[in-house]
Amino acid sequence: MKAIVEMKSMNKFYGTHHVLKDIDLAVTRGEVMVILGASGSGKSTLIRCVNGLEMYQHGSLVVDGFDMPVEADRKLGGERELAQIRKGVGMVFQQFGLFPHKTVLDNITIAPMRVRKKTRVEAEATAMKLLDRVGLTAHAHKYPGQLSGGQQQRVAIARSLAMEPHLMLFDEPTSALDPEMVGEVLDVMRELASSGMTMMVVTHEMGFAREVADRVVYIDQGSILEIGKPEEFFDNPKNERARSFLARVLKH
Amino acid sequence: MIATSIKWTRHNLFGKPFDVVLSLLVIPGLLWLVYSITDWAFASAKWDIVVQSLRVLMIGVFPADQAWRAWTASAIIGAILGAGFGCVFCFKPHHGLVLLLVPALLLIVDGGLTNALPATGIIASTILGWALTSYAPLSRKVLPAAAFTGFIVVVAVMAPPGVGLWGGLLLSVLLTLVTSVLSLPIGILLAFGRQSRLSSLRIISAWYIEVMRSVPLILVVYWIWILMPVLAPQWGLADVARGMIGFTIFYSVYVAEYVRSGLQAVPRAQIEAARSLGMSEFDINRSIVLPQALRVVVAPLVGNVLDIFNSAPLVFIIGLTDFLRAGQMILANPQYGDRTFEVLSFLLVTYFVIGSMITYAARKLEDHMATGTR
Ligand SMILES: Nc1ncnc2c1ncn2[C@@H]1O[C@H](COP(=O)(O)OP(=O)(O)OP(=O)(O)O)[C@@H](O)[C@H]1O
Ligand SMILES: [Mg+2]
Repeated sequence: MKAIVEMKSMNKFYGTHHVLKDIDLAVTRGEVMVILGASGSGKSTLIRCVNGLEMYQHGSLVVDGFDMPVEADRKLGGERELAQIRKGVGMVFQQFGLFPHKTVLDNITIAPMRVRKKTRVEAEATAMKLLDRVGLTAHAHKYPGQLSGGQQQRVAIARSLAMEPHLMLFDEPTSALDPEMVGEVLDVMRELASSGMTMMVVTHEMGFAREVADRVVYIDQGSILEIGKPEEFFDNPKNERARSFLARVLKH
Repeated sequence: MIATSIKWTRHNLFGKPFDVVLSLLVIPGLLWLVYSITDWAFASAKWDIVVQSLRVLMIGVFPADQAWRAWTASAIIGAILGAGFGCVFCFKPHHGLVLLLVPALLLIVDGGLTNALPATGIIASTILGWALTSYAPLSRKVLPAAAFTGFIVVVAVMAPPGVGLWGGLLLSVLLTLVTSVLSLPIGILLAFGRQSRLSSLRIISAWYIEVMRSVPLILVVYWIWILMPVLAPQWGLADVARGMIGFTIFYSVYVAEYVRSGLQAVPRAQIEAARSLGMSEFDINRSIVLPQALRVVVAPLVGNVLDIFNSAPLVFIIGLTDFLRAGQMILANPQYGDRTFEVLSFLLVTYFVIGSMITYAARKLEDHMATGTR
């Protein structure tokens, strides 16, 4: 099977701070990859490199057949090429990132209309189908501020899906939510995974990771220490650091 | 009612010993001031001068037999402003009644129709515009186009006697409108230019803003007035147009500074979310960043409009007769030498009324924006 994301000894620095160290990682199509690690280990940075929100300095990164340039090769106006790749890569953020001045429906239709040049009628029809999929048809004409956190995050997922992405990135999608709303968002993600979507998910929801992930990646201080099937990782982690990480997070 | 106001008074004015002392000093002083002003206004002031010179105050030296042109233009402007106001503040019949008091008052004081008739026309069209956008929200969609057309008509109607004759309050209002409308897009472009990735654009914008912020408006206006015929002699621009250009060049910079603070208030996460959807930088700026930035700075931007209006008298430097200058012109007539206070009071009250209306509109607009995002 062909990889949709392929990182080869990818390195990322913030100034002199070495944040990602020789990352080798390949995500195959249809795979759900969960990325685990302590705070500050570089999980967000890793997946933000995939859609070019962050730049890397050494190594190579290929996303959906597109060679992501290293920082030194990024040209002025390179945003246009990046936009090209981002069309096919959805991203869901911890803080939702919905546009507060647009209704739920407009939030979902703006990118398909502007980027994919769909007509309003087409875009709205797709949007309503997606809202139905995440169970929010009744809220189409509300503003994001009128919705609960869980509802906003489901809208954000629908908004990404409207671009018909080949790959979805999730950066702690449930971390900003009240506990009672975590379930509704995970349900949507579970459904998405079973529909065959390729997903890279940063999360602290260990139950979700164990149940949904095809592979789990454990990062510590910018290096991948362990990568494997969830049952292997959770039941007998080979690495000492991973073991203490699991002991810490599974305690509560 | 009385009980609550006594309670309010006791609580707010006589709550602490210091308040008592202050109130005992200030309240009689205020009462005395109000009394003497009222006494002067109704007993000794001779307001006939204001009524007689109303046309000059409103439209300056625009020829009397052509005044209908200026009144028509005023009515169109009234309709546009009313319609704009109606988009954020719903019209109620009692608002109309209050506005109609103006022509009624003129009719009583003047005893004739010379002033009351145009006033009625202007007020009526303002009310119509206001009611239209209040009751028929669909009309709001065509407002920008209608306002633009209306504005062309205003210029076309006013032009024939000579653009150099424009004056009075109408000139002040026109100058304010044109400057506000033109400085908005220019200011927005400057604000984006200032944070552009192209360093040449960034440096030019920064310098332009820096220079304009360090010089006085009156100098910019005078300088542009002198420079335009040298730079573009073939255009033969009228003084009014040159004045408007000077004002726009100057005030764009302030718009840019406000917009820039708005741009900085838009969270970076918004841009990242839009980018991750594959939107182009242009679309992101236009549809995601700018609308949110403008929302934050509506109040200062409207405050800027008030600034423009209050600075309009400076056009005297290029020989134009705005509202304030028209008042001065009247007083220059030795026959009216003893009516200084009457004319100046009228100017003061008019500036105050217009200024507070703009401030009020700004607050309404802000509330309106806030409900949109909630
Ligand atoms: N913009 C930035 N500038 C400088 N350093 C940064 C920046 N963003 C992140 N870092 C640093 O990079 C490292 C990795 O950060 P990252 O956000 O990827 O961690 P994370 O694993 O997502 O952590 P968390 O679980 O807290 O979200 C951290 O040490 C962080 O301090
Ligand atoms: Mg993170």
